[in-house]
Amino acid sequence: MTVAVASRSSRTARRRWRLLRLLIGLPAAAERGVSRFYSWTPLGRTRVGAIAQQTVAEGVRMKIALVFLALIGVCVLGLPLTIQGDSTLTGAVQSYLSYALTTVGFLLAILTIFMSRTVSDELVGKQIMVLMTKPVARWQYILGKWVGICIFNAGFLTFTGFVVFGMVHYIAATHPPIEEIYGSTQMKGRADEPGAPASADRQRLQTEVLVARTATPFILPDFTEAAEAEYQQRLKEGFYDLTRDYDPQEERERLAGKAEAAWRVVQPLSRRLFQFEKVLCDRSADNEIQIRYKAEVFGYPPDEILRAEWVIGDPSKGAARYHAYTRHVIQRYQTIKVPANCVAEDQTLTVMFINRNPYANPEEYPIPEPLYPCTVQFIESAPVECLFVVGTFEGNLARLLALMMCKLTFLAALGLLATSVFSWPVACLVSLAFYALAGMQSFLTEAIDPMDTADATVFSRLADFGRAAMAGDGAAASEAFQGFFLEGVGESLGLLFYVIPNFARFNAVEVLVDGRNVSLVWVLQGIGQLVLVSTTLALGLAMLLFQRREVAEISL
Amino acid sequence: MSQKTTPIVHTAGLCKVFRDFWRRPKVAAVKDLNMEIRPGQIFGLLGPNGSGKSTTIKMLLGLLYPSRGRIAVFGKAPTDVSVKNRIGFLPEESYLYRFLDARETLDYYGRLFRLPERVRTHRTEKLLDMVGLRHEARRRIGEYSKGMARRIGLAQALINDPEFLILDEPTSGLDPIGTRQIKDVIRELGRMGKTILLSSHVLADVEDVCDEISILYGGQQRAAGDIKDLLSKTELTQITTEKLSEETIEHIRDLLTRLEKKDIVSVGAPRHRLEDFFIQVVQESHRANIATSGVRAVGEMPDFLGERTRSLVQSLVEAGRRRDVAAPTGGEVVEPAPIVETPRRAVVEELLASAKEDRRAPEAQEDSPPPAEGPRRAPVEADRAVIDGLLKGSGGGDHSP
Repeated sequence: MTVAVASRSSRTARRRWRLLRLLIGLPAAAERGVSRFYSWTPLGRTRVGAIAQQTVAEGVRMKIALVFLALIGVCVLGLPLTIQGDSTLTGAVQSYLSYALTTVGFLLAILTIFMSRTVSDELVGKQIMVLMTKPVARWQYILGKWVGICIFNAGFLTFTGFVVFGMVHYIAATHPPIEEIYGSTQMKGRADEPGAPASADRQRLQTEVLVARTATPFILPDFTEAAEAEYQQRLKEGFYDLTRDYDPQEERERLAGKAEAAWRVVQPLSRRLFQFEKVLCDRSADNEIQIRYKAEVFGYPPDEILRAEWVIGDPSKGAARYHAYTRHVIQRYQTIKVPANCVAEDQTLTVMFINRNPYANPEEYPIPEPLYPCTVQFIESAPVECLFVVGTFEGNLARLLALMMCKLTFLAALGLLATSVFSWPVACLVSLAFYALAGMQSFLTEAIDPMDTADATVFSRLADFGRAAMAGDGAAASEAFQGFFLEGVGESLGLLFYVIPNFARFNAVEVLVDGRNVSLVWVLQGIGQLVLVSTTLALGLAMLLFQRREVAEISL
Repeated sequence: MSQKTTPIVHTAGLCKVFRDFWRRPKVAAVKDLNMEIRPGQIFGLLGPNGSGKSTTIKMLLGLLYPSRGRIAVFGKAPTDVSVKNRIGFLPEESYLYRFLDARETLDYYGRLFRLPERVRTHRTEKLLDMVGLRHEARRRIGEYSKGMARRIGLAQALINDPEFLILDEPTSGLDPIGTRQIKDVIRELGRMGKTILLSSHVLADVEDVCDEISILYGGQQRAAGDIKDLLSKTELTQITTEKLSEETIEHIRDLLTRLEKKDIVSVGAPRHRLEDFFIQVVQESHRANIATSGVRAVGEMPDFLGERTRSLVQSLVEAGRRRDVAAPTGGEVVEPAPIVETPRRAVVEELLASAKEDRRAPEAQEDSPPPAEGPRRAPVEADRAVIDGLLKGSGGGDHSP
C-alpha cells in the first residue's frame, strides 16, 4: 500500500516536472514555430525575408525586446496606478490613453533607432564580411534589415494595442464615476441637461471617448463684404490720412478680422446662429448627434458656470427642434447631445445659441436663479462643432497604431541611413536629432518664420554685407551680416523641413483621447507621405550609400 | 575560352591604398599584384602579418574595392552577386551571429543561397556531422569555443557546395585534430576538383596541402610558383628504409664514395611528427568513448559536396571516351599526370646486396656532418633515378628493375 502511494506521488512529481519544463520551453517553442511558419511565407522564402527574420531574432534574443517590453509594461500597466486625472472616470481614461500612447510612441521610436544599430554591430563585429560573400545584394541587406525592424515594431505595436485596449476597459470597469466619489450634487454643472442619468460621467466616457466621432466642417460666415462696406465708408468719411503709408488690402483684412471677432461675441440676451452643412449622419431619432463648444465669458458668474439656452433643429426644413438648457463650466469643451432627427433632410443643421439664463425663469423653476448676465465669446477657430459617431474605439485605436507604425517605418529607414554612413554613436545622435526635428517641426517653422523675409535672400544679404564692407561702413556691414546669418539659418532649416516629415501632423493621440475619428484618409495620407515618400527616400539613400561603402574598411 | 582554361581568379596590377579621414594615403596594403588561380588548384597565399593577404582576399570577395588595377573572379567583377553563388569563404575569425545556434546559422546561410528547405536540412546535418558538432547543434554560437566556432565557420563556407573556396587562416584557433581535419577536408575538396585559395602564415599547413603558392611581403608578390619546384632540394637525395645496422651504413657510405664520389650528409632515425602522435592518442580516446563536451569524432565528407564537379569530371571522361573511339590518334590529348611509384623494398635490398659484394674501405665516419632531419617531401622520382643510376653503376645489370 505504502509502495503504491509512493509510486503515485513520484508519478505526480514527474508529471509536474514535465509540465514545468514544457512551460519553460514554451517561448522558445513558440519562437521556433513562428519562425518555421514565416519561412513558408512568400517573404520568408526570399533573401530579404531571411535577413529580416535574423534581425527580429537578434532583437528578441539579445534582450533588447525584453528591456523595452519591461519599459512599455511599466508605461501601460503601471500608469493607471499613478494617474488620477481630474477625478472623473472620463478624465482617468483620457489621461491614461494620452500618457500611455504618447510614452509608448516615444519608447518605440527610441527602440527603432536602437534596432538600427544592427548594421553598425555587424560592421564592427564583421558578421557582414561573411554575409556579403553570400549572393546578397547590398540593397537586399538594407531592405531586409528595414523589414525586420518593421516586423519587430509591428509586433510591439500589436502587443501594446491589446494591452492598452484591455487597460482602458479595466479602468472603465474599476474606476468609480465622479458621482460615486462626490455625490450627484457635485455634478450639477456637468450634467448636459436636466434629468441626466445617474452616472453622466460613465455615459460621457462611452459617448465622448470610447467612440470615433467625426466633426462636420463648420464654415465661418464671409466677412469680406462687411469689411469692404466699412472700408468704403471710412474712405468716404476721410478716416484714413491718404499721406500715411498703408496697404488697402491689409486694411480690408484687418476690418474682416474685426467683423469676425465681433461676430464671435454674444452679448447678454442676444443670440447667434450656427449653420452646418453635410451632416452625413443617420437621421433617425434613436441616433444621437453632439454639439460641442468652448466658451470664454466676460463678467464671470460667481460659480464660473455659464447658463444658456440652445435651440437645435429647423422644423421648416423637415427637422425636429430641441431646446437644451445648459449649465456648463466655462473655458472647457462642453457637449450637448440631441437626437439626430434634428438634422434636416438636406443634411443641414441649424443651431442657435441664446445668451440667457433659462433657470432664472420663475414660471419654470419655483426657486429661480439670478440672471448672471455675461458676455460670451467663442474663441476657438471652429466656435461650435457638430459631432456624430462614425466608428468604434477599437477601430480608432487600430488606425492610430497604424499611424504610429508609419512614423516608425520612417524612423527605421532614418536609423539605417545613419548607420550605413556613420558609426553607432554618431548615427544614434543624428537619428535622435532628426526625430526631435520631425516632432517639433511645426513649432520650429513658426519660430523661424520671422527670420524669413520675402524680399531678401541669403545671397542678397551677402551682397549687402559685401557692399557695406567695401564702403567701410562697419555698422551697416554688421547689420547685413546679422541678416545674412539669420536668413541662412532660416533657409537651411526650411530646406531641412522640406526633407524631414512633420510628425506632429500625424499625431493622433489627442484625437483619439478626444473620441474623434482617426480617419482612414488620414492613415492613407500617413502611408503616402511617411512611408511612400519619406521612407522610400531615406531607404534609397541608405542603399546608395551602403552600395559605395567598403564593408571591410579599416580605420586609420 | 573553355571552362578548363578560364582562370577562377585573375588580378592585374592590383593595388589597395588605405586612406585616413581626410583621404590622405596612409598605407599601401597591396602593390601591383598579378595573380592567377586556375580551376582545381589549391593555391596558398603566404606572408607575414600585414603583408596584404587578407586585403587581397577581401578585394577578391568585393568587401574592399581596389584603388587601382583589375580583378576578376569567374571572369566577373567580385561585386557581382552571381559570382557569390559559386564562392565559399571562411574568414580569419568566425564572424558568426552569437545569438543563433549552429543549425540556425547554417540554415540562415542556406536560405541566402535560396536552397530549398529539404536541401538545406540535408546539407546542414551532413555538415554538422562533418565538423563533429551535431550533438552541440542547439547551443548558441556565442557559447562555443573558438575552435568549435571555426568549425561552424567552415561548415557555412561549404553550405552552397562552392566551386571556389577561400580560406583565410583556416587553422587558426584549432587544436591539432581540428587542424588535421581541416587539412584533410581541404585535400579532399581538392581531390573533388574544387579550387581553393588558402591564406596562412602557418607554413606547414600550406606546405601540406597546396599545389601552388604566392608569397607576399609589404603588399608585393616576392615569390610564386609550384610548391614542389620551390621547395625541392634537388642537390640532395633521401632514401628511407627499415632500421639499418652500422655495418650496412658503412657499406653504403663505401658504395657512394666509390660510385659517386660523395658522402652521406646525415644518418638518423626519422621521428614521428607530434601532430600524428597526438592524433593517434586522441583517436584511441574516441574509441574508448571517454566523455567530452567538445568536438567528437568527425564524420565523413558530405555527399553533396562536389556534386557539380563530379558531374563535370564524369562528362569530361565520357566525352574523352567518345573521342577515343572516334579518333584514337588525333585531337587534343591531355597528358596524364605521371604516376610515381614508391621505391620497392626489393630494389633497396638488391642495392644493399650488391654493395656487400663489392665492399670497399669506407671513408672516415668522423668527417660526416652531424645527423639532421632530411627534407620531408623528398622528390620520389629523383630517388628512383638515383637508385637506377647506382644499380647501373655497380655493374649489376641483373638488378635493373
